[in-house]
Order: sequence, then structure tokens, then C-alpha cells
Amino acid sequence: MSDVAHDTPVAHHDDHESTGIGNRKLGMWVFLSSEFMFFGALIANYLLYSNRGGFAGTYPAEIYDIPFTSVSSFVLLMSSLTMVLAHNALSNGDQNGARTWLFATAALGAVFLGGQVFEFTEFITQYGMTLSTNPAASAFYLLTGFHGTHVAVGVIMLLSLWGISRRTGGLSEKHGMSLELVGLYWHFVDIIWIVIFTVVYLLSVPPT
Amino acid sequence: MTAEHEAHPSPAQYWKIAALLAILTAFEVALYYIDQALGLGTLNALMLISLALLKFVIVVGWYMHLRFENAIPSRFFTAGAILAVALYLVVLSALGAVVIRG
Amino acid sequence: MTATAERPQTSIFKRPSSTTGIWYWLTTVDHKKIGIMYGYAAFVFFIIGGLEALMLRIQLASANAEFLTAGAYNAMFTMHATTMVFLFIMPASAAFMNYLIPLMIGARDVAFPRLNALSWWIFFFGGIFLYSTFIFGTSVPPIGPDGIPGNLAAGGGPGSFNWLADSPDGGWFGYQPNAGPFYSAGTAMDYWALGLQIIGLASLVSSVNFIVTIFNMRAKGMRLLRMPVFVWMSTVVAFLLLFSIPIIAVALFMVTFDRQFGTLFFAPVGGGDPILWQHLFWLFGHPEVYILILPAMGIVSEVLPVFSRKPLFGYSAVVFAGAAIGFLGFGVWAHHMFASGITPVAQAAFGLATMTIAIPTGIKIFNWLGTMWGGRLHLTTPMLFAVGFVAMFTIGGLSGVTHAVVPSDWQQTDTYYIVAHFHYVLFGGSVFGLFAGLYYWFPKLTGKVMNEKLGKANFWLMFIGFNTTFAPMHWLGLQGMVRRTWKYAPETGLEPWNIVVTIGAFIIATGVSVFMYNWGHSRRHGEDSGLDPWDARTVEWTIPNPTPEYNFGVSPVISKLDHFWHLKYDQDDEGRAVRKDDADEIVAELEHVGLNPPEPIPLPNPSYFPLLMAAGFPLMFYGVIYHTTAWGKALIAIGAVISLAAVIGWAIEPLEEPHDEPGEEILEEVEAGV
Repeated sequence: MSDVAHDTPVAHHDDHESTGIGNRKLGMWVFLSSEFMFFGALIANYLLYSNRGGFAGTYPAEIYDIPFTSVSSFVLLMSSLTMVLAHNALSNGDQNGARTWLFATAALGAVFLGGQVFEFTEFITQYGMTLSTNPAASAFYLLTGFHGTHVAVGVIMLLSLWGISRRTGGLSEKHGMSLELVGLYWHFVDIIWIVIFTVVYLLSVPPT
Repeated sequence: MTAEHEAHPSPAQYWKIAALLAILTAFEVALYYIDQALGLGTLNALMLISLALLKFVIVVGWYMHLRFENAIPSRFFTAGAILAVALYLVVLSALGAVVIRG
Repeated sequence: MTATAERPQTSIFKRPSSTTGIWYWLTTVDHKKIGIMYGYAAFVFFIIGGLEALMLRIQLASANAEFLTAGAYNAMFTMHATTMVFLFIMPASAAFMNYLIPLMIGARDVAFPRLNALSWWIFFFGGIFLYSTFIFGTSVPPIGPDGIPGNLAAGGGPGSFNWLADSPDGGWFGYQPNAGPFYSAGTAMDYWALGLQIIGLASLVSSVNFIVTIFNMRAKGMRLLRMPVFVWMSTVVAFLLLFSIPIIAVALFMVTFDRQFGTLFFAPVGGGDPILWQHLFWLFGHPEVYILILPAMGIVSEVLPVFSRKPLFGYSAVVFAGAAIGFLGFGVWAHHMFASGITPVAQAAFGLATMTIAIPTGIKIFNWLGTMWGGRLHLTTPMLFAVGFVAMFTIGGLSGVTHAVVPSDWQQTDTYYIVAHFHYVLFGGSVFGLFAGLYYWFPKLTGKVMNEKLGKANFWLMFIGFNTTFAPMHWLGLQGMVRRTWKYAPETGLEPWNIVVTIGAFIIATGVSVFMYNWGHSRRHGEDSGLDPWDARTVEWTIPNPTPEYNFGVSPVISKLDHFWHLKYDQDDEGRAVRKDDADEIVAELEHVGLNPPEPIPLPNPSYFPLLMAAGFPLMFYGVIYHTTAWGKALIAIGAVISLAAVIGWAIEPLEEPHDEPGEEILEEVEAGV
């Protein structure tokens, strides 16, 4: 039944858009709005337990290294800058620039992850605070662990785009949209950290 | 037929925004230490949350480009954020972790 | 799907190209085929869930029965509910939404066809994973503080079918710490938690797909407030899923971590808070019940106008009421916790909020009644089910209002009164609505109509059986019959009505059997339906039956609400519908264009990758359950690699293989057409 040509209104899949914003972009925004509920639950869980008295063992708020975390937060924040510069470069046709900024973003993300790994290792080995120490610790690790997982997935996507750009000499229009989508995801992961840094690290206190 | 970006910030503007974000972060950290020393109470929480909210809005509005985007994704995104904050505040209040004074 | 000259390979493996047979079904990305697969899978689980219910009813038909052991009974009520909610009603609704949404908005497919296939395969593998608990799951009594296992007797105690006790038995709501690592040792509840995690992911992905489809892919002229009510209800459901699934995902991760990795989220011994689980579960769970009912409400809003020969009364009100129900549904979850020790302030607030939901619900009910009032009712089988829905759902809603009165609810909690309420809204509501839809849209799938006599027999058996089963539960509950308890003493005097209830359950089973026979028989020997068997109102009936692969021969241009009706009917001076003289020709022309599109239409190509990616998840989760063993760890790695490889292949593969573009003149001709 189907052979060659098209019917106009629904010809190419991504072209038909009653809202004026493409399918994939709308899809990413919709998905990100659901992630608020996901991280919200994890943050609420942490807030519930972080200063509830009576637990055995170390509370996370007792052992935060604020200077260290401030630096890694700054790193993640700057990765949003490099991300947006990558997108900007690509829209101006600067494939090399886009590729460089993409790599920079992935690198900064990896540095952030390295910082998380270091922090967790410190907490476990030096202070003996593991997943099972108490509910506050469980909540801390689950929240920051899932955030870190999201960052890791982001780094993989960034490196994939970087790799494609290297291999084929530049990003096509379809991949350009992918870069924009990965960018939205990346900024989202950053804003979640903005909330976590303030609420979890700066504001939370252990029970007296 | 991709969405047109009419007002696309320039790289220079992006750098300026990044500088602003860094300064706000510095303020936050400074406030933390001031609170450790002086004990600002609820004022500390209010200011830190406001600063975080400001950074949040700046990244969403300019880096994620939502300020210049179609209304629809903006509504969905805002709805998700507001719903999350409202629901979890109620849960925390019901569990006694947060007291909402009426 | 193209017959052009050979093009260069665009992906690692040759693109699948079967048009029939098993490979066709395994690689399809067509929303209609996916909908059909969801439908058949959901029905299989409906039967299984029904059999589980019959086991429960046989046990409860006599006092102090020992048909099932206590452990087997717990497993049966857990799996009955889990199956019916997550493996029957949700995928059945998904079946309708998948099949119909593109047709109702004038589109050729959903926004993300391969993602759509992914949702289906994730659900399919998730269901199999969950049910594999019957083979692999274990359930051991907790070890007491003295080192002696809990007080379950050896061999499970009196009764038979004790092998069923090795399945999830913590209730479909998995209350902690009962369903946690200490009190539900063994692997059964891990299968439950991880199975639901997988299935939840399928729904989340689907919801993104449907939202983008509905907002972005409507045909010309299909404004939002011209969309059929079913599409509107599906939109609300998609948003409910979007915002509630992440909550249960977090909760299930927390319980999995408690069970597998030693965290202390819900363990009172370590300081965890069991009430946190209840909040998180019901924060999801309450929107979930609106997810279960809204599609059926949408179906009924389509069926009633057609068979009352009148437009839906108050279309905008019905739409906005549906949206209001969805929105308010996020604010009432703690009404499931009135007896859990929440504060009086919370009880009052949630009680009040719960009562407000009665308002938009009442609006819909009155509008349905208003639709039928003054209409010329045709009591076909779909109409019987739809009218049955309105009546039965109203009864269930009324008992629901009594739960909103907090002190009254304290009396009703954990009794069969609650069981009566939710079965009236879920069975008398959702299930009746789904059956109305099955009969109504059967012609779209098959090009035939279902047998009316068998259909009426089906309806009456189900209606009588349903009321015989669940009406007595109201007074059984108020007389004190307790839920989730495997036996009751003869002195309670509960036995006679329990016998009635069990008989009712078997009458339902008979009705369902009649349905199954009708379905199979009508597929083969049913009367041809033609394009418009019901003289319907909405756009999905403007194309031939069974639906062509490309849906619309030419994309429709919508002029108003109930576009199809207005193609066929004019209004006289008193506002009554008058069939146009050339209505039959118009319908015939639609059929002709539908079967003979002016230009051939390219469609998204089939793909292996959704199936492959979905297959990785159960492997990973089997690995998580057995992660302390070497092969468990290996399974996690293998599952992850498979999914990752599938993602990469998918990212490289284009949605449509390259094909020729039409000339400019052809495009103009097509635009000038119907």
C-alpha cells in the first residue's frame, strides 16, 4: 500500500507540530518536569531524617566538608556555561568550537563525579558512615547517589555527541537537536544540585 | 521547522551570567560561615533559599532558554516544580518534620 | 515499508521488514498493533487475576475454611490486586489510548513510535518478571529475637495450595515494615517491588509520548476543545502518570535498598519511619486510582452520545471536570491513612479535600444523565455497559463519600465495606467502561460487529454477578468482616452472605467466558460492519474498518466538535438532527478515499531496538535480587550491556528509512483534495 511520496500535513515525523515546538524538545521538557517529583521525594526524604534525633552513628550534616563541596558545586555550575557555549557555537556553525565546549562540559561533569566519589569514600572510610549507619545516612546517599547517576548518564551522552562529531567531522541538524536536548537535561541536573547544595549541605543541621 | 530563537543571548552574556552565578554561590558560602559564627536563625534559611531560587531561575530562564521559549513547555515545567514543592511540604508537615504555621 | 530502490544501510543490522508473522509483531512500531498487544496481554492478566479472586472466594465461602493456607491466602489477595491494577486495568487503558488517540486527533501515529514500542515491551517483560515469582520467589517467616522463626506452622499450617505462599504476600500496597526485609524475608516481595518498578517505567515513557502526541500532532482544525472527551481524559491520565510514577519509583527504590542493601528507610529498629512509606505510596496511589477510572469515563463519554442520538451534554464541563478531578486527586492521598495515626488537623484537611472531589465527579454524572435525557436510546451492548457504568460508579462514589467522613471511615477501615467501595468504582466503573469500549470499537479492529445476543448475555451475567458479589460486602463490612484475613469464625454469622458473594463471583466468571466466546466467534463469523456501524460522531469513524495501516488516506481538516456528525447531519429549526440527503454518499466517499489514498504514504519503519532494550531490564533486576551471588552480578552486567547496546543502535537508526520526495505538483493536488 505504501510506496513513495508523502501526504503534506504529516509528511515528516518531526515536522508536524501544533504547538510550534518540535516533538523531541517538547518531550524533553515534559520528561524533565516529572523529574521534579523524583528528586523532590528524595530531598523530602533527606529533610525528614537529616535532623531527626535518636539515631545511632554519624549524621551526614556532622561531617560535611563545605569548602570541598563548594568547589565541586562551582565546577558543576560552570559546566552549564560550557554547555550553553557548545550549543551557541553549533548554532553559529562552529563545529570545532561546539566539539571543544562539549568535551569541556563532559570533563567538568567528570570532575564533579570524581569529587562525589572522593567525598563518599571519605565518609565511609574516615567517618564510618555507610548506607546502613542510620536513616539520615541512607537518605543522603540515595539522594546524592541518584543525582550522581544522572550526572554520569549526562556525561555519557555528552561524550557520545563529542565522539560522533569527531568521527563525522561535525554534527548534523538531527544531532544538533540532540545536543540541545542533552543541554536541557544537563542544566536540569545542575539546577537540582543548586537545590541540593543549599538545602542539604548549607542548611541542614544534625540534631542537637 | 524548528523553533526560532529570536532573542539568543550572546557568548559574552553567557559568561556574564556565569560570573553572576559564581558570585551568588560565593554569597551563599559566605552566609553559611556567617551563620556559623553569629547564628542568624530563620533569616539564614530565608536568604539561602532565596539565593538558591535566584540561581535556579537564572539557569532555567537563560541557560535553558525558557524565558524565550513557547509558553507550553514553560507551563509544564513550572507546574512540575510547584506541584513537587507543594506536595512534599505537605508530606513533611504531616510527618512532623516541617511546621507550617497557619 | 518503502518499495524504493535499495538504499545504503543506515544501521548496524539490516532493518527488519517483515509484514506478517511473529517478526512483524516483535518489531512493529505501529500504534495500532502495539495497542492490540497491550489489549491481549491485559486480558490474559484479567483472567489470571480473576482466577486468583476465585481462589479467595472459595476460601471465604465457608467459615474456618482451610481451602488455602494463611500464607497462600495472603499471596492471593496481594497478587489479585497487583495484577488487576497494574497488569490489567492500566495496560487495558493503554491499549485503548494507543489504538485510538492518533485516530481521534487525525494523526498517523504517536510522536515517538519506537518509544511507544519500548513502553509495550518494558511492560510485557515486567509482567513476566513479576509473575516469575510464582516459579522463583520465596517467602520465609521472620526470625524472632530468640532466633526462632516466626509463628507460622511448619508446612504453612492447615490448608492447601501452600506453594502459592512463596509469592508476594505483603499486600498490593506493600506496607512497611511488614513487607520489608525482616518481616517478609525471602525474594517474593523483591519480585513485587522490582516488577512494579519496571512496569512504572513503561507508563512514564508512555505518558511523555502521549502528551507530546496530543499537543503536537493534531490534524488541522483539531483545536484542543474540539478533541473527543476520551482524548482529553487520556491527557489528564498522562499528566497524572507523569507526576505520580516518579514518587512510587523513589519509594520502590527505597524499599529495594532496604531489602537488598541494608538501608534503614522504613525499619523502625534502625529509626526508619513506616508512615513515610504510606505517604509516598498513597501520594502515588491516589492519583493512580484516577488513572484507573478516567479512561473508562472517557470511553463512556464517547459511547453515551452515540447511542442516545444526542451530543454530550456540557462538553466543556465534562472536560474541565476531568481536569479538576486529576488536579484535586493530588491533594487527597492521606484519606487512605485516616486510621494510621496522622494528626487531627491532617485528617480534617484531607477529609474536606476528599469531599471536594465529589463536585467535579457529580458534574460528570449529571452531564451523562443529561446526555441520555430526551435522547432516543439504543440499548446495544456497548450502551448497556456504559449505562451500567454510570449507575455502578455512582453507587461506588456514594460509598466513597462516606469514607470522606473521618469518624465514619475509622469504622469502615480494614473492613469489607472498603472492598465494596473500590470494587464498585473499579469493576462497576472501570471494567464496565472498558467492556463498553471493547464492544464499541471492535469494528475498527476487525471490520466486524460483535454478536448482540451474546453481548447482552455477557452484560447481564456480568451485571448480575457483579452486584451479587459486591453489594453484600457493604453490610458484611459494617457487620465487622475484616479484610485481608484468611478465615472468619462461624459465630460471626458472616457465612450465609459470603456464600452469596462467592456464587456471584462465579456468575461473573461465566459472563467473562461468554465474552471470550463472543470475541473469538465474532472475529471469524461476525457481520461486516462497514465504515460507520453505529452512526457515530467522531473522526476515528471516518476511515475504513479494519483501520488501514496508514490510518487516514488524506489527513482530515476538522471544522468543529463532533466533526463527523456534522458531515452527515444538519439541524432543523428546533435544533433536532436531520440527516443530510447526501450523507450516505459522503460516507461512501470517505470509505473510498480511505481505501485509496491519492498518494502512497511512508510510515516509520519497524525496529528491533525497543524489544532489545526492554529485554535488558528484567535481566538487570534478576541480577539485583540475587546480587550477592556471582551470577547475579553477571546478570546485572549483561542486562546493562544489552540495554546500552540497544540504545546506541536506536540512536543511530533513523525513524524512517530514506525515501523519495514527491514533486511540488503532487503536493498541491493533495492539498486541494478532500
